[in-house]
Amino acid sequence: MSPDNLDIQNSLDKDLIASVTDLKVYFESKQGMVHSVDGVSFDIVDGEMMGLVGETGCGKSVTARTFMQLVQSPPGVLAGGNIKFRSKNIKNGSQVIDLLDLSENQIRELRGERIAMIFQDPGKALNPGLTIRTQVAEVFQEHRENDVLEKAGLKNKLSGVTEYFVKKYIKQEAGFLVTTLFKIPPLSTYKKKIDSGINRLVAEALEETQIPNPTKVMERYPHELSGGMKQRVMIAQAIACNPDLLIADEPTTALDVTVQARVLDLIKELQKRHKTSVLYISHDLSLVRRICDRIAVMYAGQIVETGDAETIFNQPKHPYTQGLINALPSMSHERGKLEAIEGIVPELIEPEPGCRFVSRCMRRKANCEEIDPKLKPISEVNKSHKVACLLYEA
Amino acid sequence: MSNSKNTILSLRNVKKHFPIKEGVFQNVVGQVHAVDGVSFDIGAGETVGLVGESGCGKTTIGRCVSGLEPLTDGDIFFDLTPEKLVALEDFEKHQSEIKNKYLIDEIQSTSNISKIEGDDFYNYRRNCQMVFQDSFSSLSPRQLVSDIVSRPLKIHKVCADNELIPRTIELLEQVGLGKQHLYRFPHQFSGGQRQRISIARALALDPKLIVLDEPTSALDVSVQAQILNLLHDLQKQRGLSYLFITHNLSVIRHMADKIVVMYLGKVVEAGKTEDIFANPQHPYTKALLAASPDLSEDVMSDMAALDGPIPDPARPPQGCSFRTRCPVSRTECGWEVDDIIRRLEHHETLIDSIKSVHQPDAFNAKLTFETSFSAIELKDAIGTNDIPKQMRKAIKKIEVDGNDVNISFDPVQTVPLVQSDNGSLSRCVLANK
Repeated sequence: MSPDNLDIQNSLDKDLIASVTDLKVYFESKQGMVHSVDGVSFDIVDGEMMGLVGETGCGKSVTARTFMQLVQSPPGVLAGGNIKFRSKNIKNGSQVIDLLDLSENQIRELRGERIAMIFQDPGKALNPGLTIRTQVAEVFQEHRENDVLEKAGLKNKLSGVTEYFVKKYIKQEAGFLVTTLFKIPPLSTYKKKIDSGINRLVAEALEETQIPNPTKVMERYPHELSGGMKQRVMIAQAIACNPDLLIADEPTTALDVTVQARVLDLIKELQKRHKTSVLYISHDLSLVRRICDRIAVMYAGQIVETGDAETIFNQPKHPYTQGLINALPSMSHERGKLEAIEGIVPELIEPEPGCRFVSRCMRRKANCEEIDPKLKPISEVNKSHKVACLLYEA
Repeated sequence: MSNSKNTILSLRNVKKHFPIKEGVFQNVVGQVHAVDGVSFDIGAGETVGLVGESGCGKTTIGRCVSGLEPLTDGDIFFDLTPEKLVALEDFEKHQSEIKNKYLIDEIQSTSNISKIEGDDFYNYRRNCQMVFQDSFSSLSPRQLVSDIVSRPLKIHKVCADNELIPRTIELLEQVGLGKQHLYRFPHQFSGGQRQRISIARALALDPKLIVLDEPTSALDVSVQAQILNLLHDLQKQRGLSYLFITHNLSVIRHMADKIVVMYLGKVVEAGKTEDIFANPQHPYTKALLAASPDLSEDVMSDMAALDGPIPDPARPPQGCSFRTRCPVSRTECGWEVDDIIRRLEHHETLIDSIKSVHQPDAFNAKLTFETSFSAIELKDAIGTNDIPKQMRKAIKKIEVDGNDVNISFDPVQTVPLVQSDNGSLSRCVLANK
């Protein structure tokens, strides 16, 4: 954005799309500060599918929302860290920006355009009072006014002033007077053309997510669609502008297994086709293993282990990861002999130093309660597999 | 099933239809076939898993079993001795020649949950408890844990007032909670703890059967493991029977002795857990198994996903109800006129130009179009690849008569549940051969 970002630009590796360093997000409460996200660092490699796994309340959704500055403040407090993001805007070339430094207007330009998000419950994320068309069209109206003009057949055909107002109208930023003028001739012909242009863009976007009959579906309201269809609409909305980073916050939790498989296939396919990087958040380990390239396991606001999906599942090192994998019901366990992790997640209000997992850990040592474990590579050979546990610290 | 044990629950052709009401006078215009002829047995100390997608009627069965919904048709028998079960099966096979009418009458009056009255009904209510999915909404937010757990004891007058609290503590301890939790409100607990309170409440009257309606689907994996272990330990200690309703196949594989797979209100496959997982017979079961991610599988094994939505349960398809999404459908699956319309939905102008439909039954229909051109267009569209080959073959007759098109299929009976090679029951035309 500005020249002083240049020094950050050099610090982000070429193959990374985003890098989170020491991110801290706290929430104010009557009992004290809740350390929801407490020193989280991870990288997202360009074009990969990164999985963020953890139990309820471990801070995975908060981490994701921080990417888009969607954490409400107050009560949310950004206590430190940064998120560097390589924005591959075609116009200005690629540049590295710190997402947390951006002003509201700057982040608005990125939301939906370079970073998009799929939310957990499509029933709640879609506005029940607007048609699917209106909701998907918003993305194009906000970020793609030139495409709309082109589809409407108005590109390079308008004089400077008219174009300025038409663009304002598309972006829904025009005032009352202009909006009214567009309703009466001669400007109403533009309105019709713009509407049909938007319709075509929306239909194309919906078609891309394999929605049958996009022109019919466009006119419907969210309650008229099934859960799987709603989630497809959400995905269509998210990838409409072909973003660099797609954040999927448990997109299939509300869906049936069979529909889930379809939606996952779709996300995977779109990711491959558009070469989008995906941050996939889920509590379902077996699902993450199926689709993700790399995984970060979170516990109580911190990342405890990160590495390739296969390594994490075949050689989990952190006692928590091992516990999670063993707790999954499978054929290898005798009934009633599931290896549950006893105890509950600790309170995150003003936490004490020391390992957060210590109260539930089966392999704790004497100094676990005093020393904060750092996320370190497990061996010299495999630098990508990192774990935060004193057991592996020399 | 071994002959020495009692059958705790026996569902016989259970049907539950919900009326669809419309208009000012709330006229009944149709029926949603939520549960359409389901039969299975639960033996003493057995866990039966009920699996299926959302909307397949599994929760409705749970509610029917626990007496929360009256049945439309069919019977649910509670606690049958082996002799009674044999007599009942005998009676159903040869209804005309009733051998032991006295015994049948006794069964009907003492075990059929929709007919029993008085003490028997009271007894049934005590012995059949339920644990709901969402422990947020199934525990009263205004009541203390002591009230919640001791309420069944009070209502059924099992113990004296001064024994109430010690008994409640005992129950809480059985589910891994303690005395210190007695005077707290449900919102002060985590999800796993709340589900433990629900289980304690269900255990209070020492029931024979507990209906578990997705007890762990709102919980995290690590807590889910705790609850599943607890349920299993309780079953061992008390010889409980479970009706375990869930959509999670790995949980059901872990917990259930027998599995009943449901689709659109009907049982499509039923059998022993090992048999079904090792050798699923019905294409729907196969698709479910393939779609559910499991750690033991190879990564990125083909995610076999099903096409299309679940058909409307108000008008369930005749023949095989799964054929609209089935990857291995055949000519004899029982195709009907609605399937053609469903397949041609994206020919918008064509469908919009249908003026009227005269449909005496599902397999015959007369479609009237606005123009004769559209009528010919429909016939052409049916000839294209939009209609799968099996379906095209099943069409008996298609005639264009001016603006009208007559379509008829060979009528097909509902596919029965038949015993397959591995001993499990499956409802598929492929298995019938």
